Amino acid sequence: MRLYVDSTKCSGCNACRVACSLNLFGETNPKKAALVIEPQFPAPGIYNVKVCTQCGDCAAVCPTEAIKQDAQGAYYVVYEECIMCGACEPVCPEGVMFVRPNLVENTAWKCNLCGDCVAVCGTGALWIAEKEAATA
Amino acid sequence: MNGYGGSILRVNLTKGEVTKEPTPADVARDFIGGRGFGIYFLFKEVPKGADPLGPKNKLIISSGPISGMLVPGGGKCDWTTKAPLTGGYASASMGGHFTAEMRYAGLDSIILEGISPKPVYLFIDDNKIELRDASDLWGKGTFAVEKQFKEKLGEEFQVAVIGPGGENLVPYACINHDYGRQAGRGGVGAVMGSKKVKAIVVHGAKSIPVADKDAYRKAGMALYKACKDAEGFKDWTRYGTTIVVSWCDEVGALPTRNFSAGSFEGGKNIYGPVMREKIVITDKACFGCPSPCGKYSRNKKYNSFVEGPEYETIGMMGSNLGIDDIEAVAQANLLCDELGVDSISTGNVIGWAMECYEKGIFTKADTDGLDLKFGNVEATFALIEKIARREGFGALLAEGVKRAAQKVGKGSEKFAIHVKGMEQSAYATHNATAMLLAYMTCDVGAHHNRAWAITYDLQVGRDKVVPEKVARVIWLQNFRPMFDVLGGCRLQWVELGIDRDLYVPALEAITGIHRTWEDLDKVGERIWNLTRLYWARENEGFGRAWDMPSPRFYEEAPTSGATKGQITKLEDVNKLLDMYYEQRGWTSDGLPKPETIEALGLKAVIG
Amino acid sequence: MPATLRLGASLRILIGGRDEYAVEPGRSVHETLVSLGIKPELVAMVSVNGEMQTKDYVVQEGDAVRLLAVVGGG
Repeated sequence: MRLYVDSTKCSGCNACRVACSLNLFGETNPKKAALVIEPQFPAPGIYNVKVCTQCGDCAAVCPTEAIKQDAQGAYYVVYEECIMCGACEPVCPEGVMFVRPNLVENTAWKCNLCGDCVAVCGTGALWIAEKEAATA
Repeated sequence: MNGYGGSILRVNLTKGEVTKEPTPADVARDFIGGRGFGIYFLFKEVPKGADPLGPKNKLIISSGPISGMLVPGGGKCDWTTKAPLTGGYASASMGGHFTAEMRYAGLDSIILEGISPKPVYLFIDDNKIELRDASDLWGKGTFAVEKQFKEKLGEEFQVAVIGPGGENLVPYACINHDYGRQAGRGGVGAVMGSKKVKAIVVHGAKSIPVADKDAYRKAGMALYKACKDAEGFKDWTRYGTTIVVSWCDEVGALPTRNFSAGSFEGGKNIYGPVMREKIVITDKACFGCPSPCGKYSRNKKYNSFVEGPEYETIGMMGSNLGIDDIEAVAQANLLCDELGVDSISTGNVIGWAMECYEKGIFTKADTDGLDLKFGNVEATFALIEKIARREGFGALLAEGVKRAAQKVGKGSEKFAIHVKGMEQSAYATHNATAMLLAYMTCDVGAHHNRAWAITYDLQVGRDKVVPEKVARVIWLQNFRPMFDVLGGCRLQWVELGIDRDLYVPALEAITGIHRTWEDLDKVGERIWNLTRLYWARENEGFGRAWDMPSPRFYEEAPTSGATKGQITKLEDVNKLLDMYYEQRGWTSDGLPKPETIEALGLKAVIG
Repeated sequence: MPATLRLGASLRILIGGRDEYAVEPGRSVHETLVSLGIKPELVAMVSVNGEMQTKDYVVQEGDAVRLLAVVGGG
């Protein structure tokens, strides 16, 4: 399973990011969310949304194997095992792997597929579904 | 303090100093936030008789405890000041993302004081707070300035900026944010301009503390679910406030040709579905809103992008000016935003000027050669620019409709559509007595957001003047503005119809204080009375005469449309006020009685 | 097959009563409202199968008609 986004439906409200930070850290702080919304205004007038595809590239480079996979296929960070080396962040193809010591001192973070963002999204821009079969 | 950023930021522009102080717990308890903080600080700190555009006036920008939280629509920011437009109380509500960002920077209110010797902007990046030179930004339009900041500082900085209208102290200048959201009414932009503050940019990365994390998450999720399950959710989200254009036209509430009628023969060209089809490209939400009323448009006819137009601008720049072209309305909207003038007041004052022209009070010799007939799109565009720059004929209109009509005379005062000097917003109130009373008694002047009661008029009987109607208006006035106190949006309740009790556990989990809606309505009543006392303190002889509507609604019946031949009698206007004052616990001249002041715990506040 | 007519919460707040009615097709929305004792002018928006329609729309078999009132304004 993974999270999908249709950026054309996003209205930029950021409720997803609030719900995300609340799930990941128990805090109300969208700067600590695992989704990115890039507003492009005044032209062309769209929100470009980046979400985790659960590709696993981050887990592959993690030296302490702190990024593990759960039963539904989501990669999640075990906070206690992260050493903040920063190896995972640059390999993320979507730019949604975060190592930001100024925001969170002791761990990297990413989408764990909790689904709270989908629950609060009013425009249907986000949904969770099976990963599509890899195309050649 | 749970549910709060924790600090009030004071910006002394005269000295160029910024200081932080803790948010006072007793004020948070009694006034909660947002518009409550605004009137509290205004009443306590701005001395009696202060010139709205002078150094003693303050501009008070406040968030509230649901701003930036997991609560639908927590994106509202209150801007309170002494109004240059009316000489009374101004509180403008601005949507977008500014209020949430303020809170993430730890700020509940920002108070601008004094006057800067040179143009500046206020830079806030968490604890780094500075006044910076804005000489190179002065004179620029709002979109250009916002774009410049976003490119330099990043998209996560939120920007509030004035345009030439604010710089030129137009008393209905607004503040722009997020390419199309405004603190629109009363002239808050002129106050910012008088202080030589071009912009405020804010970014924060702090978390907002809450009293009970689990209960907060549960209550927040329940609120989002209720919105998404609401019957009207899909339609409301598709059309936003433009849903009401066709209905207002049908029932005679769509202001037409300077409020001379309430139905417009070209109305169908500016209805919501027409706009959606023709120009809307995406929905654009305020912070945390699942049902975005903001529509973002690409206007091919004028090769431009604009947020909106929403209902108010369609009414004021469309039917009220006899313009039946949605793309022209959208372009007028863009010009107002870019130049930084309130599209409601601007549409109202241009409507008045057009009526003057058609009646021969103005000729081309007065209007800089503009053919100011109703429906003239190019003349409308030209006038918006002239008003914001105070050029030529625009200088007169830049006074606001009340003062302009006083200067011109010749009977034009009779069709200057305002209350207390604030131009009436886009609901025609012919034979709609509850809505008329709502405009008459609104605490900033003729604005619709405090109480809105046209549907109630239709249900009870439009011409009925009964205590129940008055009670309904008072209830709405106490309750609806509470969303502006909490730092959120009322539309989830008023339009989606979600159960307002769902907010109770959310607010309690956030702040740790249990408040029922009965308690909150009481806070609303306290604030309402304090704003009334402020008007009285600042204006010699303040009273009943200030609550009178434009004579258009009791002297002249429309000659066309759904309200053709309908009028409210002057006697009924007075009867409405009698009942209103009595139910409010005010004197027959409309001033809160000592026992009312006492019962609301306002004695200590007013000193 | 009758059509269904649903009242949005905003309208229900105003007039009380039921939130769903089964109605006979073949009459306009306006006539249908009158027959149910609902003042047509209270209804600000008529949505039929997801599309905005006027009150002159003639209800067809199986239509899902949704009615909204405006209680808030802009």
